[in-house]
Amino acid sequence: MHTHLLRKRTSAVFLNLLAIIVVFAFLFPYLFMVMSAFKSRLETFAYPPVWFFKPVLDNFKSIFQDINIMFYMKNSTIIATASSLLTMLIAIPATYSFARFKFRFKDSLAYGFLFLQMMPGISIVFALFTIARLTNLYDTYIYLVICYLLWNIPYAIWMLRGFVEAIPVDLEESAMVDGCSRFQAFLLITLPLMGSGLIASTILIFIGAWNEFSLAFFLTSVNARTMPTTIAFFMTHSGIKWGPMFATAVIGTLPVVVFALLVRRYFISAMTFGAVKG
Amino acid sequence: MLGFLKKTQRSKFTAYGLILPAFAVVFILAAYSAYWLVKMSLVKWLFGEPWINSIWVGLDNYRWLLFDQNSSFWASVRITAVYVGIALFVELVLGLGIALLLNSKIFGRSIYTAFLIIPIVVMPSMVGMVFRLYFSYDGLINYFIETFFGAKFNWYGPELALPAVILVDIWEATPFFVLILLAGLQALPKEPFEAARVDGASNLQEFRWITLPMMAPLIVTVSILRLMDLLRSFDVIFVMFAGGPGDVTTTLPLYVYKMTLIARNVGRGSAASIMLIIIIVALTFLLIRLFERIKFEM
Repeated sequence: MHTHLLRKRTSAVFLNLLAIIVVFAFLFPYLFMVMSAFKSRLETFAYPPVWFFKPVLDNFKSIFQDINIMFYMKNSTIIATASSLLTMLIAIPATYSFARFKFRFKDSLAYGFLFLQMMPGISIVFALFTIARLTNLYDTYIYLVICYLLWNIPYAIWMLRGFVEAIPVDLEESAMVDGCSRFQAFLLITLPLMGSGLIASTILIFIGAWNEFSLAFFLTSVNARTMPTTIAFFMTHSGIKWGPMFATAVIGTLPVVVFALLVRRYFISAMTFGAVKG
Repeated sequence: MLGFLKKTQRSKFTAYGLILPAFAVVFILAAYSAYWLVKMSLVKWLFGEPWINSIWVGLDNYRWLLFDQNSSFWASVRITAVYVGIALFVELVLGLGIALLLNSKIFGRSIYTAFLIIPIVVMPSMVGMVFRLYFSYDGLINYFIETFFGAKFNWYGPELALPAVILVDIWEATPFFVLILLAGLQALPKEPFEAARVDGASNLQEFRWITLPMMAPLIVTVSILRLMDLLRSFDVIFVMFAGGPGDVTTTLPLYVYKMTLIARNVGRGSAASIMLIIIIVALTFLLIRLFERIKFEM
C-alpha cells in the first residue's frame, strides 16, 4: 500500500516537472528575445550566450532616435484599429443574418466567405499591387485597411456566428412582443449579451492585422509601413543590427501578448471558427 | 414602408440586406483582384514595366510551369509537401502529447495555457528574424546542441535550412494544437473512462480505444485548419532564408515571390499563384469530403 502511494506520488512529481520543462521550452525563445533587447552589442553575439548582465537601454534609445519607431507604431495602430472596427461594423449585421434567418444560397454564401478566407495573401498580393498602382492607392492607409477586410470580414463572420447562435432567439422575440423593433431587440438584447465574445473577436482581428506581413510589405513603401515590415531596416550593408531589432520585436509584440492574454478564454473558439468551445 | 410585402418576403429582404455590405466589399475586391490575377497570368510582363508593354501569351505560362524542363515548379511542390508534411505531423504528435500531459493532474494548468498563447501571437516576421540569429553558427540553438551532444551544425547551409524553418514553425504552431486539443480533452465525458477503469483497462488501452476515437473529429478539424495555414505560410521563411540557399526553402508561396519579384516574370508568378490557390482549395475540399464520409460511416 505504501509503495503504491509512493509510486503515485513520484509519477505526479514527474508529470509536473515535465510540464514545467515543456512549457518553459516554448516560452524560452521569447524570453531570450526580451533579454537580448536589454543587452549591449557585444553581449548579443557572445558565445556561449550571456545569461547574467547589466541591462542597458541603448537598443531602445537607438530605435526611437535612429529609425523613429513611433512612426511605425502609429501606422500599425491606425491600420489595425481601423480595419478591426470596420470589419466588425460590416460583419455583425451579416453574421446576424446568417445566424437568425433562413434564405436561399445561405450555405453557399457562408462557404463562399470561408473560401475567400483561405486565400493565400501572397497569391493575390501582386494583383492587389497592380490595382494599387492603377488607382494611385499604393502606400496608403486606406488601401491596406480595405485589403485586410477581404480576409477579416469572412473570418469575423465565421467567428461571431457561434456567439450569436448561443443566445436564445426567444429573448429577442419577447422583446419584440413588448414593442421593440427587430433592430432594437438586437441592439438592446443580443448585442450586450454577445459582449465579451464580440470584444474578443475584435481583439483577435486587431492582432491579425497588427502582425500581418506580406500585404503590408508589398503594398507600402514609406508612408504606410507597419511594424512587421520594419525588419527590413535592420538589414544594412554592414550586417544586421541585432540589438535594435530585438528592441523593436519587444515593442512590437508586447501589446499583442497583453491583448491575447486578456482574451485567452475566447481564444480557442475564435481560432477554430467556433468548432471548439474553450 | 414595406407593408405591401408579405412578412416572409420582408424578412428575406432583411436577410439579404444585412449581408449586402459584407458581400459587396469582400466579393467585389476579390473578383477585381481575381480578374487581374488571371489577366496577369496570361501575359508576358516584366515586373515594373507599364501594362502597355505586356504581351499576350495565352496559356503559355501554365505550359511552362507544368511541363518545361527548366521550370522548378514541381521541385517547389515537392519542397512544399516535405515542409507541410513534416511540420504538420510533428506538430500534431507533439501537440497531442503535450495536451495529454497538461490534461493529467497538473498544478497551474491555466498559467501554462496562458504562456502557450505567446508563440501563436507574436509577429511572425519578428519571429523569423529572431530565429535567424538563434540558428546562426554561434547562436542559441547550436549552443544547446553543443552542450548536450558536443556538435555544432551549419543551419544556414542547403541541408539544414529547411529543417530550420520547419523547427521554427513547430515552435510557433505546436501550442495551437496543444490549446485546442486540451480544450477538447477537458470537454470529454467522464463515464467511459470510469467504466474502463472498472474493467481494468491500462492507460494505453484507454488512450487507444476511448480517447483517440472520441478526439478524432477534433484532431482532423485542427489538422485541416493548420494544413491550410502551412500551405500559405510565407513570412517566416521569407525573413529567414527568402527561399534559399539556392531553392531549398522555396515552398510554393516563396516560388510565387521569387518568380514575380526576383525573376520579374509577373506572368509565370501569377500562373503559379493560381496553381497555389487551386491546390489549397482542392485539397481542403477533398479532405472535408473525406472527413464527412468517415464521420458518416462511424
